[in-house]
Amino acid sequence: MAEQRVAREARVADAFVELVNQLAVGFDVVDLLTALTSRCVELLDAGAAGILLADTQGQLRVMAASSEEIRLVELFQVQNAQGPCLDSFAAGSMVSSDDLTTESRWPGFAAVSVAAGFIAVCAIPLRLGPRVLGALNLFMTRPKKLTAAQIHLARALADVASIAIVQGELARQSELVQGQLEHALQSRIVIEQAKGMIAQRAATDMDDAFSRLRAFARSTNRQLTEVARNLTEGALDVEQVSAAVADRRR
Amino acid sequence: MNETDAGGTRATRIAVAFAREAAKSPAGRMCRVCRDVLQVSGAGLTLMVGQRTGPLCATSPDVGTLEEIQFTSGEGPCRDAFTSNRSVHAPRLDDAAFARWPSFVEVARRAGVAGVFAYPLTGTGSSVGVMTLYQHAPGDLTSTQHEDCVAVAEVITATVLSLQSDARPGELGQGLDGGELYRAEIHQAAGMLAVKLDVPVAEAMVRLRAHALSIDVPISELCADIVARRVQLEDDWR
Repeated sequence: MAEQRVAREARVADAFVELVNQLAVGFDVVDLLTALTSRCVELLDAGAAGILLADTQGQLRVMAASSEEIRLVELFQVQNAQGPCLDSFAAGSMVSSDDLTTESRWPGFAAVSVAAGFIAVCAIPLRLGPRVLGALNLFMTRPKKLTAAQIHLARALADVASIAIVQGELARQSELVQGQLEHALQSRIVIEQAKGMIAQRAATDMDDAFSRLRAFARSTNRQLTEVARNLTEGALDVEQVSAAVADRRR
Repeated sequence: MNETDAGGTRATRIAVAFAREAAKSPAGRMCRVCRDVLQVSGAGLTLMVGQRTGPLCATSPDVGTLEEIQFTSGEGPCRDAFTSNRSVHAPRLDDAAFARWPSFVEVARRAGVAGVFAYPLTGTGSSVGVMTLYQHAPGDLTSTQHEDCVAVAEVITATVLSLQSDARPGELGQGLDGGELYRAEIHQAAGMLAVKLDVPVAEAMVRLRAHALSIDVPISELCADIVARRVQLEDDWR
């Protein structure tokens, strides 16, 4: 018994080491997620596993599956817009059914899953911070509820998958996002500086200075940040902006 | 169990612990996760890109002040880590450290800080800021702690970029605004002084810094007083 436990812990540790090593050396997201579904099957005593991810439009897509038949069951969920994976993604929380033969929430999905031999299902959201990226689906071949320890492990695997997905995304777009971050930090700073300039010139408070800045931007049909930057760079006269009639509408 | 196994298992534990905590915490609390996972006295995260900086979070007001002073005084381990894109270790805030960062070390000592470790937040070539760890007791980090710090810094970088990638153009991502740590009044006061002295804003900022130092008042306090007009701007602040 104790030996079995040690062997199991070693397998769990191996699975994580494999994932973390892949993360460290660079990887193909689909490969990694496919490997992850196989590990889920092995470690969680599941019949099959699949991963759905949202694309940039928020539409879920089947990214990985431990077998072809489960890919089709997953595809059914996406095409018919019903199933635990979709609900888990929408709610950002775990959704499960211990026995799909008596399930009424997703009749079409339940019928397809049972026909493929999968009687119980558990969907775990893939999240990073406030973002829900997709969901991990575990399918069991008999009526079953996952134990707390199994859910704990499944969540940990899902968290590693989330990091892998985001890293993959960022490898493609990090420079772009970094530029956006710089722009956002700069916008915030120059707007405050411009408010200070106007407040000093018009001898008023920051709220009123901001109203004047906004009024000037609106009346000249320009962006707030652009006006602020021009002011701080001396390309625009502070007198002119300060004289703008404060627009009290928000 | 041999060394590699132990290292692998530990790295795994850290990565998973961090991922799980990060997944359920708002971005503004990531520094607490750093402190707890890395087992240090305090932690601060500051966003930095190019010439632009903004606070993200700090485990205490003292840490917030220490992060801020590095940007207003233009010196400190966090600055150096960002500029060099390497970790900067100051295990003892001794005379050598004082010679390198006088303003920072003085304030840090007063806050009971004995050691500082700064890690750039870099992922796939892009840098988004710095994670700075503060210790009440002097001494080096262990090599395992150092490895964990590098791993955690990567996860934070990925999280920051991920949050920013969802933001509207010109705006900071959800949770990245630094909340109460962001001192708008510093920039407002710089704008006010620029008009008063008829100088560029960057120069006004330098003069604010110099004046705060000369009267020994934290710059954020001085600027709050200026904005509230409790302190009059003077022509001779230079």
